[in-house]
Amino acid sequence: MLAVETKGLTKRYKDLTAVDGLDLSVEQGELFSLLGVNGAGKTTTIRMLCCLSDPTEGEAYVMGKSCTSEKTEVKSLIGISPQDTAVSNRLTVKENLMFMCRVYGFDRKKSEERTAELIETFGMQKVENSRAKTLSGGWKRKLSIAMALIGEPKVLFLDEPTLGLDVLARRELWRTIESLKGKITIILTTHYMEEAEQLSDRIAIMIEGKTAALGTLSEIEKISGETGLENAFVAIAEGRMHK
Amino acid sequence: MNRAFAFSSRNIRELLRDPLGYIFCIGFPLIMLVIMTVLDQSIPKEAVTVFHIEKLAPGVAVFGQMFVMLFTSLNISTDRSGTFLMRLYATPMTASDLTVGYVLPMLIVAVIQCLITFVTAFIISLIIGSTLSIAGMLASMLTLIPSALMFIGFGLIFGVLFNEKSAPGLCSIIISLGGFFGGIWFDAESTGGMMLKMCRFMPFFYCTRSARAAMSLDFTAKGFFIPLLVVAGCAAVLISLGCFTFSKKMKADLG
Repeated sequence: MLAVETKGLTKRYKDLTAVDGLDLSVEQGELFSLLGVNGAGKTTTIRMLCCLSDPTEGEAYVMGKSCTSEKTEVKSLIGISPQDTAVSNRLTVKENLMFMCRVYGFDRKKSEERTAELIETFGMQKVENSRAKTLSGGWKRKLSIAMALIGEPKVLFLDEPTLGLDVLARRELWRTIESLKGKITIILTTHYMEEAEQLSDRIAIMIEGKTAALGTLSEIEKISGETGLENAFVAIAEGRMHK
Repeated sequence: MNRAFAFSSRNIRELLRDPLGYIFCIGFPLIMLVIMTVLDQSIPKEAVTVFHIEKLAPGVAVFGQMFVMLFTSLNISTDRSGTFLMRLYATPMTASDLTVGYVLPMLIVAVIQCLITFVTAFIISLIIGSTLSIAGMLASMLTLIPSALMFIGFGLIFGVLFNEKSAPGLCSIIISLGGFFGGIWFDAESTGGMMLKMCRFMPFFYCTRSARAAMSLDFTAKGFFIPLLVVAGCAAVLISLGCFTFSKKMKADLG
């Protein structure tokens, strides 16, 4: 079974087509990146896959469940770390995680176990009793991802997880994301080329709501006739692809 | 309901850790209670004012509830401005869980605020030598529950429809209108004419009237039950409208 599948997925807002007939297939355990400039349709795609927005046309499935007709089932299979950190600022790290445990219906014992497990996995022991608003950007992103993992999702959506972070915090977060690879399917959106290059099993380059190229890094380099993802991306975005 | 309680618990923590909440929801009403008592003590005893402690305490309690409205709207509009609610939308939480999660903590805050106001008023009454009736205070506190829900309903609607900059501004208008037409700071019933008609047109007037009637253990239809019924009706309409608006907005956000 595919972790994520879209068939002709389309989202229109009045005159604007944000996502235009997107066809994707993501295998379980894969780290799949959606790469594109601002407004390429990455976040809209994530929103539709997370049941946060209904498609205008087409279908989207997560672990075989429809994102339009089986929303409750899909919501229990996914976790999302939105573009902003989306944490409760006056709650501590531990309280934020405990809160999400209760949202997923865990009892007290399981909540405490799961919270302790995630604090350890993300190395947050030294900040576990700090309020979220006092954390640095990097710690907040880690907390945000940990909160997305509370419900033991099959598919994790990371929407521009390193946006606005300094280089050290970004590298630290990459290591965190890499540690999750293979254990869970990850759909990552980013417009940082080196991030997609470093982390992804496969990459889809989105231009104006469409998939302009899809494959592994070497496949994309081959399609574009360029070396390195940034050069390949520019070539594809400018329509200079090798046929 | 467990999810709603979890969200309530989160919201209570957020509120209790906001220093502004203490200043506006508790500090400001208590300061008004003290200032108005000083004012009352400075004017001739025979003057008919609403500043005698038995009339002032229920009025200030209603005034305090208006700040609960402000905080309800601020809490919701701030959550909406970020992506925290989006994260929750992607979980099994429903619109009902979220609405209950916003209303319940504010109701608890309103009850605690009311209790503190009346305890302070009781202490003041002992100091100035006009002891308040404990039965009257308890009756007034219970009477103020529908009123609290009414103001929370206002806050819910403003928080859902407006952003974190506009919502407090609109609440300030309600606070001004409520203070004025609610007869908190003057005896509206002694005004007559157009002024009294305007006061009677506003729900705030009935909040103060029913709370004051309960305080003086005046359980007549005209003084207590009819005003209470008006407040309860307004509370039911506003809370229902707030829930409906929240649900519609959530669907629009997810559209």
